[in-house]
Amino acid sequence: MVKAEKKKINLRVNGEVHTLLVAPHLTLLEVLREELHLTGAKESCGRGACGTCTVLLDGEPVRSCLLLAAEAEGRQVTTIEGLGRQGALHPIQEAFVAHHAVQCGFCTPGMVLTAKALLDKTPDPTDEEIRLALSGNICRCTGYAKIVEAVKAASDKGK
Amino acid sequence: MRLPSFQYLSPGTVKEALETIAAHKGKVLIVAGGTDIVNRLRQRLVSAPYVMSLKAISELKGIKKNKGELVISAGTTLREVAASPEVSGLFPALSQSASCTAAPPIRNMATIGGNLLQDTRCLFYNQSELFRKAAPACLKQGGRVCAAVKGATRCLSVYQGDLAPALIACNAKAVLKKAGSSRTVQVADIFSNKGKRPLAVEEDELLTRIVIPIPSGPYSCAYEKLRLRKGLDYPFASAAAFLSLSAKGVIDRARVVLGACGPAPVLVEDAAAFLVGRKPGDADGLSAARCALKVCRVVENVALPASYRKKMAVVMAGRAIGEALGQLSGAGA
Repeated sequence: MVKAEKKKINLRVNGEVHTLLVAPHLTLLEVLREELHLTGAKESCGRGACGTCTVLLDGEPVRSCLLLAAEAEGRQVTTIEGLGRQGALHPIQEAFVAHHAVQCGFCTPGMVLTAKALLDKTPDPTDEEIRLALSGNICRCTGYAKIVEAVKAASDKGK
Repeated sequence: MRLPSFQYLSPGTVKEALETIAAHKGKVLIVAGGTDIVNRLRQRLVSAPYVMSLKAISELKGIKKNKGELVISAGTTLREVAASPEVSGLFPALSQSASCTAAPPIRNMATIGGNLLQDTRCLFYNQSELFRKAAPACLKQGGRVCAAVKGATRCLSVYQGDLAPALIACNAKAVLKKAGSSRTVQVADIFSNKGKRPLAVEEDELLTRIVIPIPSGPYSCAYEKLRLRKGLDYPFASAAAFLSLSAKGVIDRARVVLGACGPAPVLVEDAAAFLVGRKPGDADGLSAARCALKVCRVVENVALPASYRKKMAVVMAGRAIGEALGQLSGAGA
């Protein structure tokens, strides 16, 4: 049996660089939640099927439960805590509140981040583009219509 | 659940990667995008003392059009494949198969090489260790029983990759390297058609490139997939079709390939008889699609009934053939 050595990694999360000594088998989700105490990304299915663990990697949504923390070294990680400023919500978060797009809230960080990645690239998406972008995120409260409405409202056309 | 412990290796070049694999032969798992292997590690379906990441190897990324061929490096993400104008312009079936794989966040991570070399799946196998241990070990786990088909003596787990049928239909080749040597094989030949060990790739080999020859005359291709949701689902049945025309405007090559209909993608050999030698407008796509019934080997091991999947394999083949015929007609053939 090979003894797994801890690995020193530099993680850039929400613009801040963290130097961490982590076991190589830890996923980015585990490091974010347990080492950096950023608990916005959640573990739900734990196999990449639901999207509650979504974070942005260089601006693109990925599953942090399927990504080894070491694989995120040298990339820009954005979690839900990196959106908005102290005391002020990000416009997408405000739209989610205004349109009642949050029910139990478990899927919300993933939905908001996925919507941010979409709107950064496509400021005026069609309903179909919004649905396609969110097609990897599951809301078990089934509040999809409100979520699509909120993303539409946060788009350039909705403002 | 935590992943099992391992030593993490991250070579910077293909050469270093091959040396690493050779040095730890049989003890290294390769992580490209991670979307498949990390799940299998978590479910304790695989384990190894070493995990080698390909993320730092820039040679394994990118799409290039060379003289007469399209080269897709194995570490290219499915998002890049789906978004590439070169891929969609030359081989729409590949774009279609990449863009309907899983969901956008998965495609941002998953690679074409990883997608191709994924393991076969079964409702009774791709489960947690706790679930699997509640029943006798199945054939794929080295046991003697099949949980899906009573009395089966060989594993019938199903290959559910989306890219492979499209690549095989388009006559793609795979470049496999190991320390000191390299071989190029048809993509069809990397599948053993055995559910227990579905890939005919040696444990010290690394898939580095996919090479697709660009036909000189007019041709067309299409991919169709049966799924319940527009996102996330593996195919329950799928089909890819490729057709090319001779100088006289008759079909001279036809390849119809089924996915998710057995332990490997299946070439529907008999379909060609209803297509080759005819003009696209006179081809019998329906009869060609019906040939899928003979080679489709589905059993009750995914979330839809085998009888339905078998019927739908014909429907998917018919749609893919119809779309490919339509493209040829549209091209003025």
